[in-house]
Amino acid sequence: MITEVLAAAVGTVAFALLFGVPRKYYAYCGLIGGVGWGVYRFLVDFCTVVEANFAAAIAVVFLSRLFAVRKRCPVTIFLISGIFSLVPGAGIYWAAYYLVINDLERAAATGYQAIKIAAAIVLGIVLVFELPQNIFRSRKRRAERKKRDTN
Amino acid sequence: MDNERDVLNAAVMAGTILLQSGAEIFRVEETMARITKAYGVDSGSSFVLSSGIFITAGNEKEEYFAKVRHIPLSASRLDKVAAVNQLSREIEAGCYTLGQAVAKLQEISDLPQRKPVYRILASGIGSGCFCHLFGGDAADCFCALLAGLVLYTYIIFVSSRKLSKIVGNISCGALVTILSVLLYTLNVGNHLNQMIIGSIIPLVPGVSFTSAIRDIADGDYLSGSIRMLDALLVAFCVAIGVGLVFILYNRLTGGGML
Repeated sequence: MITEVLAAAVGTVAFALLFGVPRKYYAYCGLIGGVGWGVYRFLVDFCTVVEANFAAAIAVVFLSRLFAVRKRCPVTIFLISGIFSLVPGAGIYWAAYYLVINDLERAAATGYQAIKIAAAIVLGIVLVFELPQNIFRSRKRRAERKKRDTN
Repeated sequence: MDNERDVLNAAVMAGTILLQSGAEIFRVEETMARITKAYGVDSGSSFVLSSGIFITAGNEKEEYFAKVRHIPLSASRLDKVAAVNQLSREIEAGCYTLGQAVAKLQEISDLPQRKPVYRILASGIGSGCFCHLFGGDAADCFCALLAGLVLYTYIIFVSSRKLSKIVGNISCGALVTILSVLLYTLNVGNHLNQMIIGSIIPLVPGVSFTSAIRDIADGDYLSGSIRMLDALLVAFCVAIGVGLVFILYNRLTGGGML
């Protein structure tokens, strides 16, 4: 599992480069990707794949927002690269594979699975974005802001 | 008044860079509003779609102005999104005159992309790593790495320049599968499926998928649907490419491998 988390982190950084993420954010992207996969791998033994993906998506989006607020840059930077290890690319492949070998039952099953995973990720993203921006700020910045608002 | 015209032009320029680089719709609208406000144009109003920007201004005091820009979909450049975002904060804080801001925007717009060599390497490494995640062993990862390298070389020099999105993605999916089948039959890799999954990862439409969700969650249904359609289209095309090669291989070998 440790090698998998490392692979997820390195893979995420590779895709961050493809999307043109500035170099100084690579480490954060890698961390987010690694954590996302780690959460998924840890939970998948205890619950269904969809639930594990949901939890992993929540972790990824939460960390993305945290880093975005702390580093004062768009959340897209971290989110797009971090979510990559969760997007059901493998599901799409299996669905196509079973369709071609005419195993329609398994094609439908894997296709539905991919859609369910996508829906879980959607739900994770939407839910975490409902959290107020304030809780991601450090205590110091919150105090600064309060001071500025009251002045 | 020339000044208002220039302010709105600068806002549209910032919006264009953001939208082209794959930013969310609300960020584009917000940034343009910030810039117009910061330079004292209060009547600015904008409407942004995933493929175009419409901006108008004008009331009793300010001159009427309207601009429509069509913006074709292109590759995501998150560095530009970050740079414009930073700039708009600085503009809001009053750090730049309008002329300086426009010069800065031009600078951001001209930011060079990473060298093709790096992007090809990144694609290879990404494919190799993700192959491991989906259960491939070291040999499979090596094959996925090779396929990822070839795939991105093909994307940069052939498919993104000369082919439509549909044909391009089908051909990319097919190319990866051909390479993987080749390496598999040469006994370089051990698990064909894992090799292919790893190497199609650079094609997976993660960016349009994520932006689509963000847009829909923000209430930009139209742009969100367009981006989601884009993501689905790409996913289907890749799947078709993979499937076509499998069918062909099946015919040639009489159904031996599948």
